[in-house]
Amino acid sequence: MLRFLTSFFGNLFQIMLHLLTSKKNIIQNLLSIYVKTIGGSTLCIDVDPKCKVSYIKKLVAPQLGLEPNEMKVIFAGKELGDDIVIEECDLGQQSILHVVKIKRSSDQKNNISSRGEKCFTTSTPNLKNGGLLPLCEILDDSMFSTGSESRTNSISVDASDMDNSSADIKETEISEDHRQRPKKVHFFVYCPTCKDMKNGKLRVRCHFCKSGAFTVHSDPQSWTHVLEPKQITGTCENVPEHCELLLQNKEPTFAEFYFKCSEHVSLGENDQAVPLDLIRPNLKQVPCLACLEAPEIMFTFPCQNDHIACLYCFKQYCMSKLTERQFWQHPEYGYTLICPNGCADSFIKEIHHFRLLDDVNYERYHRFATEEFVLQAGGILCPQPGCGMGILADPDCIRITCQSCKYVFCRNCRQGFHIGECDTVETPENGLLNGNCNNELSCDNESKGDDASRTTIKVITKPCPSCKTPTERDGGCMHMICTRSGCKFHWCWVCQMEWTRECMADHWF
Amino acid sequence: MTDMSPSERRLQKELMSLIKDPPPGVSVDAEQAEQNLLQWTIHMEGALGTLYEGEQFQLQFKFSNKYPFDSPEVTFVGSNIPIHPHVYSNGHICLSILTDDWSPALSVQSVCLSIVSMLSSCKDKQRPPDNTFYVKTCSKNPKKTKWWYHDDSV
Repeated sequence: MLRFLTSFFGNLFQIMLHLLTSKKNIIQNLLSIYVKTIGGSTLCIDVDPKCKVSYIKKLVAPQLGLEPNEMKVIFAGKELGDDIVIEECDLGQQSILHVVKIKRSSDQKNNISSRGEKCFTTSTPNLKNGGLLPLCEILDDSMFSTGSESRTNSISVDASDMDNSSADIKETEISEDHRQRPKKVHFFVYCPTCKDMKNGKLRVRCHFCKSGAFTVHSDPQSWTHVLEPKQITGTCENVPEHCELLLQNKEPTFAEFYFKCSEHVSLGENDQAVPLDLIRPNLKQVPCLACLEAPEIMFTFPCQNDHIACLYCFKQYCMSKLTERQFWQHPEYGYTLICPNGCADSFIKEIHHFRLLDDVNYERYHRFATEEFVLQAGGILCPQPGCGMGILADPDCIRITCQSCKYVFCRNCRQGFHIGECDTVETPENGLLNGNCNNELSCDNESKGDDASRTTIKVITKPCPSCKTPTERDGGCMHMICTRSGCKFHWCWVCQMEWTRECMADHWF
Repeated sequence: MTDMSPSERRLQKELMSLIKDPPPGVSVDAEQAEQNLLQWTIHMEGALGTLYEGEQFQLQFKFSNKYPFDSPEVTFVGSNIPIHPHVYSNGHICLSILTDDWSPALSVQSVCLSIVSMLSSCKDKQRPPDNTFYVKTCSKNPKKTKWWYHDDSV
């Protein structure tokens, strides 16, 4: 009997092994994934993308000393149902699944309810149910692709209400075509590894302990839920006592959403991508505000009027504004733009959107942004040709040494450092190059290449009376408007003061 | 259509809609515009019941490859320049949407409508007070002029 049993099990083992190896031979693209347990250990397993979650449980259970039915598999904010096929879960190579032990006391209720639903929908997994598929598979594009958030909310609420009511009536029919109807959510990210705009994957972790063993209580319905902190609550399965203790029950545990690039193999938990939330699929075929064609992927300006542009025209817009130095230095968001139609409160908050520019233009963007930042912070730019290093020096310090090119210059006149008064009475600010210094002691040869352009700038320009930017008048009337964004000062070319009605009467042209 | 730049594609669309559905009294020289999408001539009639009834005008639109992020350069051309407090005798027009208030949401059609309405609301046919001086000194490109926009009511 014993011999029979051993040979039976031996055979069984061999058959299984055979099955496994033959499968391996047929399917080349085995998924190599990590399973992280609460104890902190990580198991690496290779699985066939066609296998089910229950198979992973069976595979991992013995190693953890647990029964498969004592375990929960958590991925992207959801407990994965036993019958879910791995390839439906948006898992990539080296993705991390979290396995936790089901706790009898606290989680029994959840467990039973999810079990009940599992029985109910064994053949066709109900996508509306929270506990079966990871978040990114549940969310649909319509919630995240409309323009203003207020409208998004109302639309998504309507849609889900409709779905619910119809689902009650015709459960089976709905679940069959559910997969086609709402388009799976599509996120775009800037991936620092690929250095490009890529498709992104939404992931969830505990806001406090950053553990991925976290399930959400409700699904995010809009970009606000995803981007703003503390919008969606959830259960941290890592060490719940730890998070609860930390918070002393003053507030619930919140979900934190982040993104990964879906186009390269994950390099670990810190390999994150920046969500480009204004780039969305153009589901409603809205025409681009510039070329009037409806692109597939659009850039949505954050304005009340839902203006959109195709990505090409968005780049054109950025480049034309960059050339005119018409970006805004926003105190919170950085060097950014508003809707081309000038809509109110339409600043682009995530400046990684400007990564869409090509390398040369992005470099320019970066340089201009730095310069503008330095100037606004009361700093100065190194006057040495080809340097332009931003320097934030003590306001009393007149002798400035550039950290980059080691040029030593006078703060007031931007010439080589000298002792004594500068030539000009006027003290130029903000990179204005119109002074001549009494540089008896300085060696002038350092700035010789600059002399010609310095003279030219001095001869043909006048400084804006407000921000001191050298301004050239190439025709037209005497009424000048400073082109530097954030300045826009109206001044008179003749008086070099603010433009007045008197200027208009006396010497407009 | 495929090897056109986005600004040309936009202009092509605007041209088609202007040919198909022009505002009253406005017509575009389609043949000329199709040859060079960056420069159009538009014929405009003075609206009925206004001081310009029965008059014919010609507008010239010049576009850069940054259109519509950059405003078009619009001037009256030809033998009949309307006598109007916002129109200089060299054809330059003092209209804020042509410079400071331009936005890509505007179009050739909306500019034409604004000019028609600017003419129609005129109660007293006269040149701008500074006309002689301006015409002598201004740049060829009206966009180089920083306009101090006259009262909107005229």
